[in-house]
Amino acid sequence: MAVNLKTLAHNENLLTGGHRACAGCTGANILRQLMLTAGPDTVVGSATGCMEVVTTIFPYTAWKTSFIHSAFENSAATVSGVETAYRALKKRGELPVEREKINFIAIGGDGGTYDIGLQSLSGAMERGHNMLYVCYDNEAYMNTGIQRSGATPLGAHTSTAPAGTVKQGKEQNRKDLTSIMVAHNIPYVAQTTPYHWRDLATKVEKALAVDGPAFINILMPCPVGWHFDTAIGQDLAREAVESNFWPLFEVEDGVYKVNHKPKDPTPMTVWMEKQGRFKHLFRPGNEHLLEASQQWVDLQWKRLLRLEESTNG
Amino acid sequence: MAKQFMKGNDAIIVGALAAGCRAYYGYPITPASEIAHAAALHFPALDGVFIQAESEVAAINMVYGTAGMGIRTMTASSSPGFSLKQEGLSYCAGAELPMVVVNIDRGGPGLGNIAPEQADYFQVTKGGGHGNYRLITLAPNGAQEMCDLTMKAFDLADRYRNPACIMADGITGQMMEVVEIPEAIPVPYDHTAWAVDGTPATNKNLISSIVLEPEKLEAHNLKLDAKYREISEREIMWEEYCTEDADLIVVAYGVVSRIVYSTVDQARAEGMKVGLLRPITLWPFPSPAIAAHAARDVRFLAVELSTGQMVEDVRLAVNGKAPVDFYGRCGGMVPEGAELLEQYRKVMEGVVSS
Repeated sequence: MAVNLKTLAHNENLLTGGHRACAGCTGANILRQLMLTAGPDTVVGSATGCMEVVTTIFPYTAWKTSFIHSAFENSAATVSGVETAYRALKKRGELPVEREKINFIAIGGDGGTYDIGLQSLSGAMERGHNMLYVCYDNEAYMNTGIQRSGATPLGAHTSTAPAGTVKQGKEQNRKDLTSIMVAHNIPYVAQTTPYHWRDLATKVEKALAVDGPAFINILMPCPVGWHFDTAIGQDLAREAVESNFWPLFEVEDGVYKVNHKPKDPTPMTVWMEKQGRFKHLFRPGNEHLLEASQQWVDLQWKRLLRLEESTNG
Repeated sequence: MAKQFMKGNDAIIVGALAAGCRAYYGYPITPASEIAHAAALHFPALDGVFIQAESEVAAINMVYGTAGMGIRTMTASSSPGFSLKQEGLSYCAGAELPMVVVNIDRGGPGLGNIAPEQADYFQVTKGGGHGNYRLITLAPNGAQEMCDLTMKAFDLADRYRNPACIMADGITGQMMEVVEIPEAIPVPYDHTAWAVDGTPATNKNLISSIVLEPEKLEAHNLKLDAKYREISEREIMWEEYCTEDADLIVVAYGVVSRIVYSTVDQARAEGMKVGLLRPITLWPFPSPAIAAHAARDVRFLAVELSTGQMVEDVRLAVNGKAPVDFYGRCGGMVPEGAELLEQYRKVMEGVVSS
């Protein structure tokens, strides 16, 4: 299952240009890479979110595959319904043989996945539908004006967790959704970024190959919400991995594998200082918040390594 | 009094703070998010709380919890999010909890768009949730009223122990105007008789909407109905402009009433005797005022940002005694003055020349 760039490059681009994504958006990269591997025999269901809005401005669509949109909290439920209907048709022999292998992919942003859509996602995974759920995680509600979400990291400024004189941005650490999905005991769970294209393509391929539900969480640097130069989105995806903030790992049938272990992890501050959302944390008096961010990341990383060790024993 | 230039959405928070509300629960949605942003900025600084919930369902139930403690509380959303709150609102009305909910109406159905509409009229005024309940509904038409009617809504909610709703279209939420900042008022209500706030004095109280025995649930419903009748008799608010001698009375609320208002004088300059009747409370609806006009030789025209919802209440009030016409735009389209004048001419054909 080795991913080959030449082959990938020759695959049809199923998310066409002309969509309305912002300059420097890494979400469009995520969707293109996802679809290069998934191919045309795919049904995509999407919750409301920035990538849904920018790719399907009525009456246009950037998708060259079947696409179904439903309300914010229902992406996983809607695709559950599509996949179940497919199985029913297949069982009754009403599908032509050449249409018998179809991929079902539900996508949602972090707001639609970590928060409002968690219930329907959990239900779909537990029931065991043969589908892949992809979360594009830009760590806040970017579509409605940068409100905090369960994925927003500690200290980040958002419009509903603003940095000011009383508070210094979000007061909680981010929710570890990937671990929550691992706890559903599904065949495949992974984390990746659009910078690591080979890793992303390999993981999509594996996720679509398993018999049962799969989940991939993809970090999506957002120039609008994170406040950075539009040229450096992919660099920030790479640095999120090099600082251990966003480790590349996968869990196959409960067995952890960390796909990349930075030899000399960069300090969190290197990644954070390039983003306006953390600007206030570098003011005198907020050192403890920078330390807390680093400590949390270190703790999560150690925990991940222990999980890898214990599940491979 | 201090004045400030602000969005209608921000003015809602100014009114809420002046009314003594210090607990806001919300969830992001365009075009209502500024209300949450303003609450996030101002509530914690004034010893209040702001919590961003994980969903609209969670937000309305957080409001349920705080209201159950007898504390002034609110939430705000826009159409799709307001739909999600309906189950909670039915429970709040059943348990007789006071609170303010805001719906900045956008284009529907479904995800629709983020442009203004008034197509949630049925949902808001007829009860979007289940069961025999009513939402006291106030419809501001500018930033000052977004503030003032929010204060009024808190008062009505407390007085009648019932949710009160601010229903405004997306334009009224987004439009910037000068707002006079009102003085803060004390909260004159004591809720120890029913609230559950963890003190021995309220230990005997129960917040619930479950009444299993049909006889008792019927009695509960009749008690609520008596309350709704009292509200209908006492709390109707409306405004009229040039209606005394009007041959055509245009009924419109929210931003549409502003457009109609600007066309009344133009119509009269053309010789058309047009007036405006503007419901400020959508429930209770100003049916008596409309019925009084219907008794004389007059026509009505309901203008809405929908395919025809409030017009049904106008027809019920008129009760066949006068012709009722309808003109609506939807999907985020808003009529212009000239367009409305053309409608007046059409409706009044024969009336003007006689």
